[in-house]
Amino acid sequence: MIKINSKNVDVYYGKKQALFNINLDIEENQVTALIGPSGCGKSTFLRCLNRMNDVIDICRVKGQIIINDFDINDKSCDVVRLREKIGMVFQKPNPFPKTIYENISYGPTIHGMAQSKNEMDEIVETSLKKAALWEEVKDRLHEPGTGLSGGQQQRLCIARAISVKPEVILMDEPCSALDPIATAQIEELIDELKKDHTIIIVTHSMAQAARVSQNTGFFHLGELIEHGSTDKIFKNPENKKTQDYITGRFG
Amino acid sequence: MNKNKEQLLNKRYKAEKRFRLYGQSAIFMALLFLTIFIFKIFSTGYSAFQKTWLIVPVTFDAELMMLEQNPSKEDLKDADYYDIALKSMADLDPNANEDQENELKRMVSYFFEREIKRELLNDPSLIGKTKDVYLTASDDLDQVFKGNYPRDLPEDQRRVTDYQLKIFDQLVELGKVESKFNLSFFTYPDSREAELAGIASSFMGSIFSILVCLMIAFPVAVLAAIYLEEFAPKNRFTDFIEVNINNLAAVPSIVFGLLGLGILLAVFQLPRSTPLVGGITLSLMTLPTIIIACRASLKAVPPSIREAALAMGASKMQTTMHHTVPLSMPGTLSGTIIGLAQALGETAPLILIGMVAFVNTIPGSPLDPAASLPVQIYIWAESAERGFVEKVSACIMVLLGFLIIMNLFAQIIRHKFEKKWS
Ligand SMILES: Nc1ncnc2c1ncn2[C@@H]1O[C@H](COP(=O)(O)OP(=O)(O)OP(=O)(O)O)[C@@H](O)[C@H]1O
Ligand SMILES: [Mg+2]
Repeated sequence: MIKINSKNVDVYYGKKQALFNINLDIEENQVTALIGPSGCGKSTFLRCLNRMNDVIDICRVKGQIIINDFDINDKSCDVVRLREKIGMVFQKPNPFPKTIYENISYGPTIHGMAQSKNEMDEIVETSLKKAALWEEVKDRLHEPGTGLSGGQQQRLCIARAISVKPEVILMDEPCSALDPIATAQIEELIDELKKDHTIIIVTHSMAQAARVSQNTGFFHLGELIEHGSTDKIFKNPENKKTQDYITGRFG
Repeated sequence: MNKNKEQLLNKRYKAEKRFRLYGQSAIFMALLFLTIFIFKIFSTGYSAFQKTWLIVPVTFDAELMMLEQNPSKEDLKDADYYDIALKSMADLDPNANEDQENELKRMVSYFFEREIKRELLNDPSLIGKTKDVYLTASDDLDQVFKGNYPRDLPEDQRRVTDYQLKIFDQLVELGKVESKFNLSFFTYPDSREAELAGIASSFMGSIFSILVCLMIAFPVAVLAAIYLEEFAPKNRFTDFIEVNINNLAAVPSIVFGLLGLGILLAVFQLPRSTPLVGGITLSLMTLPTIIIACRASLKAVPPSIREAALAMGASKMQTTMHHTVPLSMPGTLSGTIIGLAQALGETAPLILIGMVAFVNTIPGSPLDPAASLPVQIYIWAESAERGFVEKVSACIMVLLGFLIIMNLFAQIIRHKFEKKWS
């Protein structure tokens, strides 16, 4: 099943074009990895999917991005509702400078998802459990989220993202600030999460892309060079550039 | 080659040493001036916190006070105390002639009548008895007792006569002159008589002005800063506004005083000499300071926090109100306190709007005429009488204490916030 369907997406930062005619389909309940050398536009594309580029004054997005039969670039699309459905985890862990509990409860609160304190407690607990953080923090829910280790903070951010039960989770290099053990924990988590969510992950690590993803898209200089199943991209890529990149000859 | 390198190294060391020396001497100079200043203020000002009292035996003669038998509380309040007060002073020297009696009377403040009355009201059983009563000494004798008055001047250049000095010395000999903590300096309003002048009216005036200033400047400035920083589009027009806010911060304060005079008093007919007008005028001055502080602390909130909130589906408004503004508050508050501290020390605009008028009542609201602490300093510094010299320094001490407390408070707020989340 196709969850997200992007058609002829062009992105400009001022006069400079950052993405050229991107056509990429994202499969539901699978992990799609976006790879490519630095500055090729992976983050830019990811941010198109929840309209985070709106925040940047000079950024303009053209083309269609269709999620659930609905073009999110259409004027009638409400970004607040969209971002409730499409969560995001950033490269650097960015918990709110509030307690662990408040970090998780923020989304459900603003979207009116809990009627009572009990319900909220339950959302917090299940989100933390899904993010494999519950055991570590259950005794310190009311301590600052910023007091956690980097890996724990990133899992807290993932828990925060899934607290509003999004259909899609966007992850922009979620492990780049983490050590191998924390990275392994997050990769395991991603595998778990794909049962309920569609996941798109930007990564610089070929190994990580190969481990966690079912589909891969390779970007280069703002163009989507090649995409398909991860197996195929890594074992026999069609494009010479893809081959060079995944074998580490440039990038 | 090697030698050259060594030379370079030596040169660098020397330059570093020299630089450190310059820095240290600059700090030393600054501290020196500060110490001299503070020493000067304290050495002239500390004596204002002491007040000299003459202990005079007063006979509460019912006849002289025109009191009937068994007077009620009301009768006591309405009684005539002037005669017994005069008599008590005159009795200090049984041989005094009329002129000398007059001189005796002027050895105490004109509050002596009131002070005697208070004594009786506290204890009505004193009628018909004699009791030692503490009377405020006149400012000249006060200064003599504190050793601030040169006794060796020729008599016609002195404000105390030889006769007064003789009687005073006798009283000192008898232990009838006492120096006590000067509570009235804090509880009395301004007065023409130095021994009775206090800072209560100017202190309350300052408090009311600052409160009015805070209530106007803070909300307006914070809203303006939030709008400019978070919502306004970045274009020529907002750049223009930004430049003008910075210019506003540099406008000399007297110009704001003229504005207050020309608009608040002349056009809106607000009551003159009041903390209300003073506060509004000061708020114009404080506004840019708070806007700049608030914008700076909004800018300092990491963009990743805003992104996190937006990505959770918070609207722009929610992101700002739930995350950015609370995080910027400590910086904004400490900027506000510093702005208020500046306003507290401001004199020129207040003089222009008439807060320099002589006020001998304590204001009960921002609509009553009042002075302010710095204006009080100015008024007293203008007075010729010796008794006001120490008051000027004492008032400066109070003002400085106030400012130091406010700045300390700003520091604490900033510190607490830094400790909390990182
Ligand atoms: N806010 C911005 N303003 C102007 N140009 C931008 C902005 N963000 C990105 N760009 C440009 O758009 C292009 C794509 O950037 P993008 O951040 O999407 O790259 P990326 O593939 O995520 O790189 P990396 O792997 O280093 O994160 C780059 O050339 C970059 O300079
Ligand atoms: Mg990126």
